[in-house]
Amino acid sequence: MSFKRDISTSSLSGFTLSAILILTILSILIQNIPKQITTAGDKLLELNSQEGVSNAVTSVVVYFRGFDTLGEIAVLFIASLGIGLMLSNNTKCDIKAQSNFMLKTAAKILFPIILLFGIYIIVYGHLSPGGGFQGGVIIASAILLLVISYQNFELSHKIIELLETFAGISYVLIGLIGLIVLDKFLGNFLPSNISNMGMLLSGGIIPIIYIIIGIKVGSEMSLIVQNLIRRAQ
Amino acid sequence: MIGLIILCTFIGIIIIAFASIIQNKLVDSIILFMGVGLGSVVLFTIFKAPDVALTEAVIGTGVSSLIFLMALKHLKATK
Repeated sequence: MSFKRDISTSSLSGFTLSAILILTILSILIQNIPKQITTAGDKLLELNSQEGVSNAVTSVVVYFRGFDTLGEIAVLFIASLGIGLMLSNNTKCDIKAQSNFMLKTAAKILFPIILLFGIYIIVYGHLSPGGGFQGGVIIASAILLLVISYQNFELSHKIIELLETFAGISYVLIGLIGLIVLDKFLGNFLPSNISNMGMLLSGGIIPIIYIIIGIKVGSEMSLIVQNLIRRAQ
Repeated sequence: MIGLIILCTFIGIIIIAFASIIQNKLVDSIILFMGVGLGSVVLFTIFKAPDVALTEAVIGTGVSSLIFLMALKHLKATK
């Protein structure tokens, strides 16, 4: 008992000491901040007008930091693979309780609307807030509604596999074409005039890459959701 | 007026976060965790970061709490 109390008092004193240290460092840093700071983000946002994309965040995420986005997609793929491997030994659980009539009807009405909203978020990612990641997850939530309301609904593994490989390969291929044409990975080799800013067809390869990301994230997240719900116990 | 809303949201997030760590049932703390996500969605929207707000609403509040709930279900099944 006394041992435990010793641990708790020592950890508490360590916590307070570290908190005081962090606060002093923060106050010194805050006093020394110059009036106008130019960060790397500001410089990237200034470059945004070259790409002809009205949503500045999209041009940073997809174009200037496109290689990082490729890494994020790889991380998501590994997560999906891990969940699939971890739950692959488990048998499919047969849910005894039939889902409600109201849930089934609501799923029928809501599924196309949620799907359309996800596609809108993906396609208009370079014009308004949103993009491939968010839209893909919204599509996965539409699939989730079908999975929880219809017991015999099952995603076709072949179609998901095809979509995912197509999206991954085409992302890397577009990057390599940019490398060949403009000597830069993910170079914007399609015409991206500033005069087209705000139109649906603007920004060169940026909307195409967002659509690819949307397909990849949507299929991976749908598979994760289906594996988590269907393969219990 | 907008400052008052920001202050109330901040205090609400802190209270909900504290309430979520002192719950006895794990389900209750997951639901309160979703509340923390919703509060930060409001803050991100006020601070003019709609992209981050959308991501937080979809991934932080929706999918991560779904994954927590499903993990809880698997934990109960193995016990």
